[in-house]
Amino acid sequence: MRDRTPEGDVALRPVRTGTAPADRITGWIAVAVFLLAWELLCRALDVSSLYLPRPTQVAVALYDLFVHKQALSDLAVTLYRIFGGFAIGMVFGVALGLAMAVSRRLQSIADVFIAALYPLPKITLIPLLIIWLGTGGPFMLTISALGALFPVIINTLLGVRQCDPGLVMTARDLGASERQIVRHVLLPAAIPSVFAGARLGLGVSIILVVAAEMVVGKLGLGARLYLAGQVLETETVFAVLVVLAALGIAVTKALDAVDALTGKWRA
Amino acid sequence: MGGNLQTSSEGAVHPEIRLEGVSLVYEAGGSQVLALDDLHCRFAAGRVTAIIGPSGCGKSTMLQITRGFMPASRGTLSFVGPDGQPMPRPPRMATVWQSFNLFPWRTIEDNVAFGLEMAGMPAAQRRVRAHEALRMVDLGGFERKYPGQLSGGMRQRVGMARALVMDPEVLLLDEPFGALDAQTRLVLQEQLAAMVERTGKTVLLITHSIEEAVLLADTVYVLTARPGRVAAEVQIDLPKPRSIASTHDARYAGYFERIYGLLKSEVLRSMHGEAGGQA
Repeated sequence: MRDRTPEGDVALRPVRTGTAPADRITGWIAVAVFLLAWELLCRALDVSSLYLPRPTQVAVALYDLFVHKQALSDLAVTLYRIFGGFAIGMVFGVALGLAMAVSRRLQSIADVFIAALYPLPKITLIPLLIIWLGTGGPFMLTISALGALFPVIINTLLGVRQCDPGLVMTARDLGASERQIVRHVLLPAAIPSVFAGARLGLGVSIILVVAAEMVVGKLGLGARLYLAGQVLETETVFAVLVVLAALGIAVTKALDAVDALTGKWRA
Repeated sequence: MGGNLQTSSEGAVHPEIRLEGVSLVYEAGGSQVLALDDLHCRFAAGRVTAIIGPSGCGKSTMLQITRGFMPASRGTLSFVGPDGQPMPRPPRMATVWQSFNLFPWRTIEDNVAFGLEMAGMPAAQRRVRAHEALRMVDLGGFERKYPGQLSGGMRQRVGMARALVMDPEVLLLDEPFGALDAQTRLVLQEQLAAMVERTGKTVLLITHSIEEAVLLADTVYVLTARPGRVAAEVQIDLPKPRSIASTHDARYAGYFERIYGLLKSEVLRSMHGEAGGQA
């Protein structure tokens, strides 16, 4: 298995989408055709921009949003909430997952709570958290951290469990203490799985922060979206959706880059 | 090719290892299984002792007990110093594993330096030691590569360097060449035989290869099929250093046949035992 030639390895993999330049051009042409058809159909059928604004109107709204309506600060606030909470969730998730993997007692305690809380849609915790924390920064960071926490705990736990027992025995043979085994063997062995959990968790954090902002309706992209919808500024609704989609793409690309860096773990 | 890998450091003691009446019983499915039965073995100081036996006879378990990773159910394990007295401390030991067990996220030099790093040696110093060890196994220039970039034979040379850099007083070899192809195995056996000869360490070799046992060892213990008992102790009296040319020695054929004869009856017995178990 391990001695397969690199060429053979590549040939066995399914075709990856959107990597070759030709594929990328095809994709962009499709997007352009779609936007053009949207624009022309709206004009031809005289669709009210209240229901479906034309792409050009969305573009104008997007420009307006950032140049005249300080949407940049909303974007910054939303990003801070997502990544601040996500970072907190990561730290606690990795620490708890690792501790659970090492301590049988802690695991049996935590298992019960995780079994109860994991299937619960975290969005349903918004009303309770508002009662406890109000609608400010601590609330937003908490809801974001909760989104990341569970996927990271579970994937860290899985990653440590999948660690080759031979590596642990080798480390012990070379004089590593239990603490050193956790730090230098179990944690690095779990890294690919931890990143898989981070990927899932970040997705949940984004959803929860935007949803919480829509509920609170003060600051952030979610608030912009909700308020624009309330006053039927449909172009602005679309403009915010474009920003959120772009954010999603940027995050996915960044995670792909991190994934490539951890590739050597799987050798 | 200098340094403290060939001549052991100050204060190193190469002990004789004694297993006296060692048995191992473990629980499986509510019943007691006897894995090792009343073993009496002496692994002579500064010599190579091979343990050979049919699959599942408890060879690797014996190594685990010797390493101190697994307590024996009965019997005693002792390390005897050159003065004939039990050592006041357990000897430094290091293992070379059949499945290499390299850390895939560490570079080759960081793999070799792992034990030194755990012991708190400063980075610059342990790098020097790791590079020296890698040169000894002819892997100079591969320091910054990752295990995934190396062939099986190269990985096991890293495994050997990683154990030897610890300057162990007892070197444990757990079927070290079992996962390698026949040619690579021959070359590494010769290299290891020469290296072990120079260092004068007490070496315990677990193997299922008669050729490997006869080429490397001074004493071969043949174990029976489960439960593992000592079927015979064979002293190998062939001149050293040994190489593939030693297989032309008339005595080599004698040793090979003797051990093969003992093993064959044990393998057949264990095969019949399995067939009986399935019926």
